[in-house]
Amino acid sequence: MTHRPLSIAVNGTARSLDDVPDSERLLDTIRWRLGLKGTKEGCRSGECGACTVLVDGVSTLSCLTLSREVDGTSLTTVEGVADDPVGKEVAEAFARAGAVQCGYCTPGFVMALVGLLKERGRSATVEELLADLGGNLCRCTGYLSIARAVALLSRESP
Amino acid sequence: MPPFSLVTPTSVEEAVAELRTVAPGEVAVLAGGTDLSFDLDRAGPSLRRVLSLRRLPWRTLDWNGPVLTVGSTLPLRSLEEDPGISRRHPGLYQAIRAVGGVPLRHRATLGGNLGRASPASDLLPVLLVLDAEVDLVGPAGSRSVGVDRFLLGPRRTVLAHDELIRSVRFPEPRPSAYLWQRVRPANDISQIAVAAAFSPSERRWRLAVGGIPPRATRLPDAEQRLASSVAPTDPELRPMAEEASRQLPIAGDRRRASEEYRRHLVGVLLSRAVRAAAAHLSEGAR
Amino acid sequence: MSTFRPRPDASPKLAGSAVYGMDLELPGMLWAALVPSPTAHGRLRAVDLAPARALPGVVAVGAADVASLLSGAHGDAERPVFPSETVVFRHQPVAAVAAPTLERAREAARAVRVDVESLPVVSDLEDLFPDWPGPEAEGSPHIAAHVRAHSGDVEAVFRSAETVVRETYRTASVHQVAIEPHACLAMVDGGLWRVRSSTQTPFGLREDIASLLGVPEEKVVVEGTWVGGGFGGKNAALIEPYALLLAKASGRPVKLSLTYREEFLLGRTTLPSVVRMETAVTNGTIVARRVRLLLDVGTSLPGRDFATGYSIGFLLGPYRTPAFEVEGYAVMTNKPAFGPHRAPFAPQCVFALESHLDHVAREVGLDGVAFRASHLWQEGTTTPMGQTVGPFGLATALERARATAARWRAEKGPDAGVGVAVGFWSTGTGAGGEARLRLSPTELTVVQGEREIGSGSVLAGVAAVVARATGLPRERVTVEYEDTAHAPFDSGVFGSRTTAALGRAAEEAVGSLLEELRRRTNRSGPVRLSVRNGEIVVTAAAGERTIRDLLSDSERRAGGLVAVGKHYGKGGEIDETKVDVGTFYPYTDFTGAAHVAEVAVDRETGTVRVTRYAAFHDIGTVIDGATAPAQVEGGVVMGLGTALTEEAIWSEDGRLLNAGLLDYRLPTLGSVPPIEVAFVEGFPGAGPFGAKGLGEPPIIPVAAAVALAVRDATGAHITELPLSSERVARALKLL
Repeated sequence: MTHRPLSIAVNGTARSLDDVPDSERLLDTIRWRLGLKGTKEGCRSGECGACTVLVDGVSTLSCLTLSREVDGTSLTTVEGVADDPVGKEVAEAFARAGAVQCGYCTPGFVMALVGLLKERGRSATVEELLADLGGNLCRCTGYLSIARAVALLSRESP
Repeated sequence: MPPFSLVTPTSVEEAVAELRTVAPGEVAVLAGGTDLSFDLDRAGPSLRRVLSLRRLPWRTLDWNGPVLTVGSTLPLRSLEEDPGISRRHPGLYQAIRAVGGVPLRHRATLGGNLGRASPASDLLPVLLVLDAEVDLVGPAGSRSVGVDRFLLGPRRTVLAHDELIRSVRFPEPRPSAYLWQRVRPANDISQIAVAAAFSPSERRWRLAVGGIPPRATRLPDAEQRLASSVAPTDPELRPMAEEASRQLPIAGDRRRASEEYRRHLVGVLLSRAVRAAAAHLSEGAR
Repeated sequence: MSTFRPRPDASPKLAGSAVYGMDLELPGMLWAALVPSPTAHGRLRAVDLAPARALPGVVAVGAADVASLLSGAHGDAERPVFPSETVVFRHQPVAAVAAPTLERAREAARAVRVDVESLPVVSDLEDLFPDWPGPEAEGSPHIAAHVRAHSGDVEAVFRSAETVVRETYRTASVHQVAIEPHACLAMVDGGLWRVRSSTQTPFGLREDIASLLGVPEEKVVVEGTWVGGGFGGKNAALIEPYALLLAKASGRPVKLSLTYREEFLLGRTTLPSVVRMETAVTNGTIVARRVRLLLDVGTSLPGRDFATGYSIGFLLGPYRTPAFEVEGYAVMTNKPAFGPHRAPFAPQCVFALESHLDHVAREVGLDGVAFRASHLWQEGTTTPMGQTVGPFGLATALERARATAARWRAEKGPDAGVGVAVGFWSTGTGAGGEARLRLSPTELTVVQGEREIGSGSVLAGVAAVVARATGLPRERVTVEYEDTAHAPFDSGVFGSRTTAALGRAAEEAVGSLLEELRRRTNRSGPVRLSVRNGEIVVTAAAGERTIRDLLSDSERRAGGLVAVGKHYGKGGEIDETKVDVGTFYPYTDFTGAAHVAEVAVDRETGTVRVTRYAAFHDIGTVIDGATAPAQVEGGVVMGLGTALTEEAIWSEDGRLLNAGLLDYRLPTLGSVPPIEVAFVEGFPGAGPFGAKGLGEPPIIPVAAAVALAVRDATGAHITELPLSSERVARALKLL
């Protein structure tokens, strides 16, 4: 079946991708077509959160999403976080709180948290934010340093 | 994954017509994809078409007096964020919050939960106790079916091959509660889940159980034990719990819990859910 | 918080630029997939690769192809890459395929026709040995190893003792669950077998590949990547030989990564056990103990006696006993092999030991903690197996834990309970390593062969050792990685050894570097390094010289002055006269921890919630104040999984029923309690500045502390792991 190209704005740059099969997952498009390996592949079944990205600013599990379903949207991956004021703050908080160990779950946590802060605004309490991060798994940190990173963000908010 | 083609109709008519062009086993309907995606990996070569509902105008939420109508493709996260939900349908709010994590809820939908009819769905017991109506649309027009009649069994519903779920209607706000027993609080499948709601118009309790095969189900005999008591006391709850435990229709699944444990849990959790819903009722009365 | 120094690896990991095994890619590479055995035990009648090979672009290899691909070399006969006669666990790879796309490779793997005649499956070790193995165990094909040791006449002491308490414990199979699945990229060129892999042990992997393929080690080159968690699961060859054979067969680079389901199905990990404990007490003192272990080792071959001969010591210590008998059997079943999982099998042993001794104390009317404390090893104690305990801070840690427990007990609510447990560990400083330093005018670089697996032991730990040993600020010390063809040898990131053992090698290198600088500056006393006006200088009593001045032209061209250091530590020795059968492995550098758990138990459902936690660790010396407590937090939470929720469930026909992250439950954010972490210093170990290992100890006492807290809260004495809500509900007689 022939297709028109898939258009996505990837971290602020318009991209047009040819020959993306209808059955392709967004995770694979990001990693192997766009070459953005910062989005991590863990379980591929929506159970670990490592592949979380933002689609039009909304946190999304890229492993459960068909690429064609996000045609025409704007995609943010961890590589684009540095260009986003909220993203930059989140990354700094993770570094300062020692919330990065092996780092494999980190991009998913960062993207989920950036999405939450955008969605909820800076008024969200630490408890609310933590309750909403339950879909992301981490095996190294025991989550406490991640919780401290979240607390830093909340405390720093005006 | 088989090389199916994805079809994204922009009108309901187009969508229904599309369903009629392929044989039943050859098409899958895609709402949020959080459950379907597992199957797409394993689907055989017979799957030719995936019909995406993304462009249909069904991401809606309307309050009309007491009646809440939720479009079938509205993401659960949007439903959860509507302030009316936690206030007027607390059990529904709790059930939605029990589904996956936020990124998953950004895509999961009520329509998908109903259409896929997974025995593990956290939403179905609440839909049952709220007497939700499922609005369907097909080539012959529209019809509405109560959730209890809509669900037939695991992965089985009354939905015809060429019908789609357009919306879900909740006839009245009800004090309600949803409780689960899980191995861990988040990101888990419930070993058992229960919902309780009190219908102010009929002055009677609705009780339902889910998270177990074959399907989420009402527990009418246990409901009977509560009669019309708005705030059942412990002596009233005990026979209800015993009845629910007796009545629970389950097949064991060793991975999640034994049948014996589930029979124990259903009584405990229903008692707690009724108490919690009754507490909402008395708060509302103040 | 303000003094926190971000780890050097935080930045690439947060930017998404760190390349892990899963991320590897080369132009023209093929994707591989494994062909699984359809049954857990069977005779292979045929593996027909023809239907796979008929697909465009597909390369397939099976047992019949190995000899020609290896040009006559013979790999380890006990561990063939592919089975040729018998399959011994479900999903055991019987062939491997590669294709230009992953979809095509998976299609090809499904196309392979595997014809197996089913044989009886042994899934549960208790089906084989419902009672303790008797004489029939001699020569049983199911016994992989048998160890026994004793001291004194235990039976006679049992007969004369006031009280003898006998109990049986059972523990579950748990997985490492690093979030990154195993992944590697292999290629064969110029006669070299090259593989890039997400591994904890580049040199160990090289040795393993050489042995499996029957090629010389110098023909194998391993290059590590960033590792998305290891926890013991990535310290031997698991997938690399398949990728290498496919690379050889295709002449192309081959990428092989496991799906998360395969990660569970093929991973080598902790398997179930049965532990029997018998303790005799007279006058409040232990007079004799007998401990017996039946350990499921699946299809283990390498190190099969290690699992019993090492782990079994954790059932005896850290307690004194005048007479003892210890016996263990490693039992083979139709599961993947037993493999290391953070402090292999110690949390399970300690759960049984601590629960049992607490129970014994109750039986004789004593306080459980006081009873254990009165038998605890101290510095100078001779262990049951005849080792002398070195500086050992466990008693101090336990005192502090008791004080915390007393405070919590005074504050706790009616459904709450507090438990205290201890465990000991051995820092793996006996496994050697080497490091190379390169001192430029502005920077000191540590060149070594390990990749950071997340603990911080390489990038933060070794760097901190070198900074402290030279006097340089941390930001002037960087750690560089090289592959096995270029890096100095090191044993691997395992056994809580990295900061201690590789750190000692780096410290040795600092010693020779400073000695050389002392010589060049004609100083007589000790010299140190510091930074002045942006330049590194040598400081000594008599003044300063810049490194720039002290380098020769050739050194300057080579990037700096080079010094090397080695550390091959002493292993311990056990008293062989106590050994009756098999091999017992000594411990090297004693360390330990005392933990306190507070739980709240739902008396209607049996659900246990850990509400707070405290961990006191004998660490010798804290080397890096940021990563050390982070290790403890992570280890404790992993232990909470073992204690409460994690269990790999096997069916009678050898299927793993919960091979996924939804039904195999590691802790999530909402289930984690606040954790107080404290270190006991001043009991030096064999590491730099007296450091001891910290990677594994934090997981060890957790299940025991939680079980004892549940007992404190409810009176329920639970002898099986995990303490699932259903198990607790049964213990509370709710079912």
